[in-house]
Amino acid sequence: MSENRWLATGNFFTSYKAEQRIFLTHVDRVVFIGFLVLMFVWPLIFEVGNKYMLVIDSILIAIIAVYGLNLLTGFAGLISIGHAAFVGVGAYTVATFAQILGSNHVLLTHAWPLMIVLAGCVGAIFGAVVGLPALRLKHLYLVIATLSFQMIFQWAINFSKFFDQGQTIAIGRVFWFTGKVVRKEHYLFWYYVILVFVVVLGFAVRNLLRTKHGRCLVAVRDNDRAADAMGMHPGFTKVYAFAVSGFFAGVAGALHAYMWRGVGFESFMLHHSISYLAMAIVGGLGTLMGSFFGPVAILMLDLQVENLAEFVGHYFTALGDVSTAFRPLSFGLVIVLFLMFEPRGIANWWRIIRTYFKLWPFRY
Amino acid sequence: MSYFFQLVVSGIVVGSIYALSALGFVLIYKSSRVLNLAHGQIIASGAFITYALTVWVGIPIVISFLLSMVITFFLAMSVERVFLRRLIGEPIISVIMVTIGLMSIIDGIIYMTPFGAGNFSFPEFLPNTPIAFWGVSISWTQFVGVIITFIMIGGFTWFFKASTVGISMRAVSDDQFASMSIGISVPKVFGLAWAAAGLSAAAAGGILGNITGLNFDVLHSFGIIVFPVVIVGGLDSIFGAVVAGIIMGLIQQFAAGYLDGNWGLNGTADVLPYIILLIILLFKPHGLFGIHEIERV
Amino acid sequence: MKNKQITIMLITLSFLLILGFSTQVLAGETYKMGLSLAITGPTSDAGSPYSKGAEDYVKYVNDEKLLGDDKLVCFIRDDAYKTEATKRNFEDFLDEGIVFYLNYSTGSTMALKQDFEEEKIPVIPASFHAGNLIDSNYIFLPIASYSSQAVGLAEYVAANHKGSGKAKVAMFLHPSAFGRGPLGDVKKAIDVGLGIELVEVVEHGKDLDNTAMLKRLKSKGVQYVISQTVQPPVATMLKGAQSLGMIASTYGEAGKITFLGCHYAGGPGLIALAGSAAENYYWTTSYKLMTAKGPGTDAQLALAKRYGRDAKLANDSNYTNGIMVVQVAVEAMRRAKAKGKKVTRENLHAEMLAMNGYNAYYPLTTVGPVTFSKDDREGVDTLQLYVAKGGVFYGVGLPFVAEYVQKIK
Repeated sequence: MSENRWLATGNFFTSYKAEQRIFLTHVDRVVFIGFLVLMFVWPLIFEVGNKYMLVIDSILIAIIAVYGLNLLTGFAGLISIGHAAFVGVGAYTVATFAQILGSNHVLLTHAWPLMIVLAGCVGAIFGAVVGLPALRLKHLYLVIATLSFQMIFQWAINFSKFFDQGQTIAIGRVFWFTGKVVRKEHYLFWYYVILVFVVVLGFAVRNLLRTKHGRCLVAVRDNDRAADAMGMHPGFTKVYAFAVSGFFAGVAGALHAYMWRGVGFESFMLHHSISYLAMAIVGGLGTLMGSFFGPVAILMLDLQVENLAEFVGHYFTALGDVSTAFRPLSFGLVIVLFLMFEPRGIANWWRIIRTYFKLWPFRY
Repeated sequence: MSYFFQLVVSGIVVGSIYALSALGFVLIYKSSRVLNLAHGQIIASGAFITYALTVWVGIPIVISFLLSMVITFFLAMSVERVFLRRLIGEPIISVIMVTIGLMSIIDGIIYMTPFGAGNFSFPEFLPNTPIAFWGVSISWTQFVGVIITFIMIGGFTWFFKASTVGISMRAVSDDQFASMSIGISVPKVFGLAWAAAGLSAAAAGGILGNITGLNFDVLHSFGIIVFPVVIVGGLDSIFGAVVAGIIMGLIQQFAAGYLDGNWGLNGTADVLPYIILLIILLFKPHGLFGIHEIERV
Repeated sequence: MKNKQITIMLITLSFLLILGFSTQVLAGETYKMGLSLAITGPTSDAGSPYSKGAEDYVKYVNDEKLLGDDKLVCFIRDDAYKTEATKRNFEDFLDEGIVFYLNYSTGSTMALKQDFEEEKIPVIPASFHAGNLIDSNYIFLPIASYSSQAVGLAEYVAANHKGSGKAKVAMFLHPSAFGRGPLGDVKKAIDVGLGIELVEVVEHGKDLDNTAMLKRLKSKGVQYVISQTVQPPVATMLKGAQSLGMIASTYGEAGKITFLGCHYAGGPGLIALAGSAAENYYWTTSYKLMTAKGPGTDAQLALAKRYGRDAKLANDSNYTNGIMVVQVAVEAMRRAKAKGKKVTRENLHAEMLAMNGYNAYYPLTTVGPVTFSKDDREGVDTLQLYVAKGGVFYGVGLPFVAEYVQKIK
């Protein structure tokens, strides 16, 4: 019986190659392309204020950073509370060039795609270095080792005169083929750039998991002695996981630097690391879709809570203290409730909905 | 030379507070394998409860100190019952994240009280003059803090060695199924472990509040320093926590005393615990006194 | 019958709606300002009273019609001391169309400097960091910068030092731009002849115990410590010094250390934190303190009472700060209106620059007049020295201006 490439209610694969396709059916592909077109076109139709563009850009940058964290914690099983330090490394690579060459130097403003990729590579190198303890440490000890890298990063930036001791290092506006990107178009321009990166890197992640290296990661997570017995090198794989995660974080950091037009160490503190981890978990650890849902959920929640807190603060001023407690309270509650009742994250809901549509009209 | 001794004595004083905080941490890990990142927040709430009892209700400070320990005992036990009971058996990442979530929740609750923003200080109940001996001086509050710390550590050590409940907790941490088969109620032990941790956290908070004054940011950052101490000592060793606490205190004082100001370095006391942590983990991956786990496939 | 009732209701409703809209049209213009600060999170013990001060004064302006028929709206947002949140709030305010902006933290003011230049909007931050004034034309400090304060304190030390040789001074700084700012200017002042010797500069961490540092300073013969940081580290240091018996009980007592501090390194909050260890602590700021009775303090207490604030808030020095910055902004608006100009960013900016000489502004809340000009964007140049006695800060001497600040420009 020939398989139907357009709709498939269930699993009808007849070859390994078919099972590894990124888009299992043609309908999948069409829907995806439609969605992409929508993402690229909607800012031209709806005008949104700078503040919302800023938030959307931040969400997209967080998605890239969470790609890396998801690879590390979800697929390779190495918990890391130092992810913001990797992102910071990427941002500070750009800042280093700004400090040495001046914030409006040609290299920064014209060759910025190169700078972003370079920041990614530097992030990968740092990731590999941080990953070296992973060769000896396990589980909780590794977690605290990553925490200590985060703290050392914070201290190093704060006390080094080269980085202005943590103060904001300005980055100039970039040039595109049509000339300088001025203030009004700044957030829109970077929306497109970051979206391109998100799509390309998303494909990269999805593809990684089809290859030998991706399967290595999962194998080492599940049982590293068995993986060793099968001929994979668990130590190298772990360092590799840290390096790849560092690459994604470095790219995210460089985009962060360009978008905010400045690099200050306050954007890369411990609570940002915790935030990234929360995004990965609430989204769904170990899934690609999780990397999308997590940042959207957490950052939109932040925004709504801010609005709510302001509303309460305005009209019920006696409850001022309560309104300002909303933010940590909501953040904590969301994490705890998700973990208690839906440990597989929002991606699980997505999976359920998708399966429903895929298998329709059958129930299972 | 007296400068050196001063540093040593200050290091022991600060280190014993670290040890007391780390004690609670280790207690929870030892019995239920949970890394409690919210411990700093429990210390802070213990400090604030002591303050509230002393200043708002008017109970003399010693009694409110003990009372806050009792209150935090039940507080921690209820936290375990509500949040962590469901997570027995889940992967470690979920449990860590839940404690991180708890951290934010307790933060939020403290912000709802007037303690979240603002500075408070305990009424002074000890003489202000320093205790000086051999060219070294410490304050009365610090001295009392050290005494309390050692009393509590001694108490806990005796508790684990000699009392039935303590031994059953050790049994649970060793092998849950075996202890269940003997008849020990494992969930009850978990609750007790958290409660005991709350007890020591409240004590640490009370002492800390007296020494630094009550400002939530300061107490907040104190919670993070506990981790290197615990890891260096080994996650499941009480003795290790005490030793590591004192070592960290000493290292911080020596760093502040000899490294700061030279070679343009500043604030090394903050980062040195982490560097020492990494170095020690290189040679002893399970901490100084941690039990080397032999994993069976 | 029912139909008639409905019709009457509809007519009344539409009448009310039209009335509502028309009252808006008749009500005059609305001027918008924005304030983004840390109501929660780090330094919220200063930020929360600050926001309430600003809020109350805005209400006062509208209730007393200080701007005539026009309304003043101030959007107050919490950024929890995070620069990203401040930037987000700022972008939001710009979307709302503000003409004046009030900021808070040093970090965010420095980070947003480029944006202020591009948007050409006058800004008053709560950070008196002198670096805010470099490379910017739109930032106005409400009072003397931290550098001026530190230099002023150093001058007082030099002038009142008894004993042979130069006064030995150490500085106790916050590990950030906020803390390090004055250091450069103090060093420059020493180079042009300020009579003190800077023995050591300490950037504190999150130390629980400052014994090592204090003993080290003592062994180097330090007699004065000037602090530029926030209250909690100073309190820890003072408590440590008290337990070591190092605090001077009178100014410049030989063999002991006299502690002095800039604006955020002191205040009634410090006494609350440090208790008796804050005795004989010297503090400088340009704001009047609630303990020094006068027309300014009475006005502040009346304002607080009018809007139902408790006594602790009414006496807080940060409440004064919040009131004062809004006062300056409103004054600029009032002047622009009086000259018949529209209240826009450029006009307000011009009014701010013209606030000097006969046009200097005298808010009741500061010890001297607010003067701005093209070269001088520090508002109140006069400082007042206060000393803590018996748990209360009292003024020492008359308001003064730091001389060396002019010399090092």
